[in-house]
Amino acid sequence: MAHALKEVFYEKPKQALGAHPEDARVSLSYLSIAFIALFIGGVLGLLQGLERAGLMQLPPWLNYYQVLTAHGILLVIVFTTTFTIGYQFANLSHSLGGLLPKVRKLAWTGLVLMVIGVALVTTTIVMGDASVLYTFYPPLAASPFFYIGLVFLVLGIWACCFGVFINYRHWRKNHPGEPAPLLAFFAMGVFTLWFFASLGVTVEVLTLIPWTLGWKETVNVLVARTLFWSFGHTLVNIWYLVATSAWYAIVPKIIGGKHFNEKLIRLVVILLVVLNIPGGFHHQIIDPGISLSIKFLHVFMSLSIAVPSLMTAFAMFHVFERTGRQKGGRGLLGWLKKLPWGDVRFLAPMIAMISFIPGGAGGIINGSNQLNQVIHNTMWVVGHFHITVGVSVVLTFFGICYWLVPYLSKRTLTKKMNKVGVIQTIIWTVGMAIMAGSMHIAGLLGDPRRTSYTTYKDHPDALSWIPYEYIFAAGATLLLVGVIIQVYAVFHMMFLSPKGVTEFPAAEPVADAAPAPLWTERWGLWVVLLLMVVAMAYVVPIVDMIVHAPPGSPPIRTW
Amino acid sequence: MAEKHLSHHSQSPEKNNNEDVNSMKGTMVSVGFVAAVIVVMWVAVFWLYMARV
Repeated sequence: MAHALKEVFYEKPKQALGAHPEDARVSLSYLSIAFIALFIGGVLGLLQGLERAGLMQLPPWLNYYQVLTAHGILLVIVFTTTFTIGYQFANLSHSLGGLLPKVRKLAWTGLVLMVIGVALVTTTIVMGDASVLYTFYPPLAASPFFYIGLVFLVLGIWACCFGVFINYRHWRKNHPGEPAPLLAFFAMGVFTLWFFASLGVTVEVLTLIPWTLGWKETVNVLVARTLFWSFGHTLVNIWYLVATSAWYAIVPKIIGGKHFNEKLIRLVVILLVVLNIPGGFHHQIIDPGISLSIKFLHVFMSLSIAVPSLMTAFAMFHVFERTGRQKGGRGLLGWLKKLPWGDVRFLAPMIAMISFIPGGAGGIINGSNQLNQVIHNTMWVVGHFHITVGVSVVLTFFGICYWLVPYLSKRTLTKKMNKVGVIQTIIWTVGMAIMAGSMHIAGLLGDPRRTSYTTYKDHPDALSWIPYEYIFAAGATLLLVGVIIQVYAVFHMMFLSPKGVTEFPAAEPVADAAPAPLWTERWGLWVVLLLMVVAMAYVVPIVDMIVHAPPGSPPIRTW
Repeated sequence: MAEKHLSHHSQSPEKNNNEDVNSMKGTMVSVGFVAAVIVVMWVAVFWLYMARV
């Protein structure tokens, strides 16, 4: 008992006394920007949905593709990035006993760089100079300031990456022979993957700046697209890795259980870090200029990402079953009834996990060579993206808010706010189910994505898509209601909820668990393996694209 | 049959309870459900592909 008290008050003071105020300020600042971006991006999403269904016409000063670009950048890059950094720095602060002062400075530097970047990017979009969609690859060309803004965003992310690496290394140096805490291990995986995934897109953006400034006449479109997708798809998997950190290390505590075998959890993180980057190539299965053998190699690389996901499915079901049975659940599935469905901190991530079943299955379809030809560039892809990022990732993020924000702001989650969260989760789930579901069906019928409302001169096929497009719009309306409730909940918990102490719900291993294996801490080796996999996947095709390059493209502005 | 019947009854309630707590049947069924969703969706889209080529 005395030893336990000594450990709590002398060795883990920050865990005992809640979030360090300065660390909490860092995380809360990032979360505030995240939810402002979510609100603006959500409003734009509804406008887009209504325009796409032909239910409203945007004013002449607001182009559909402008709205589409802003919606994508604000939600897929700004919201997810800032939320992840806020959440991961809170995890690091809690599990490593506080952030180092220089790491805190790096986090603030990152925030300033990102704000400058977002300001430049959004200004160019609002001015109508950057309707190049979230993917922003050539031949579409935005204002050079758009790409300069992206450089600032990347620099901000790198500042945070270096902060995480420094803090992690410092902890390991001071705790020889000890594996880092699980949540810190996840943070290390997330930021390692982020850093290496961003290298390709940085090269692309640095190529596009002189091209849009007129210093260079043409650009190799295929190389640029390849560099983008080495980042574009990995980014989605970075958010997925962030979500899995909560599934593995937080949710078990919330349901009153213990986390799964730490060796398997760490192996999942390592596999996701090592295998992920080449997965983006399946976005180019239909691209000309890439040989069939390379495409088949990449089908294999893309599908390999499913392995750690299936391990996660098994591990999480086992944690739920074990906990449910310990609480008296009997029979084949009786344990499900014992899970705390009324607790938003569980309900939201649980629905997120369930949605990953069709989401992951859809991903396997997208990554399969022939099947990709059925769904390529159709609304199926948009539906897939919304069910994976919009539910599996974002609903997990929403669930995290209901303990993280009160913990950081030294307030409590009230019963009333929990109820608000449950209602929000239901609205979000229904909205996303009908929107993403109808998008999947419309996509299978051939409805193209990235296209404003059109009936293609009343072609019967195009007319058959319209009922589904009405359903998109209905779903998008519900989702905006969900966004408003969530933004209200986050800022209420930040500034208005009753003062008090909220626990950081980090799960612990079972009593007789073996210690986490030290070999998992060989980050140098994981990075070498990552680079080898990337080299295997990219060196031959990129050299081929450069050596046998078709004529380059000048900048094209279609709007 | 008789032996099986006897051995079933000779287990203590505590042991039965532990077995139930440590059961992974639900996990197996759930993972099977995941596999079924993957197979059904994949086959459905593959069928569409074959119908369209």
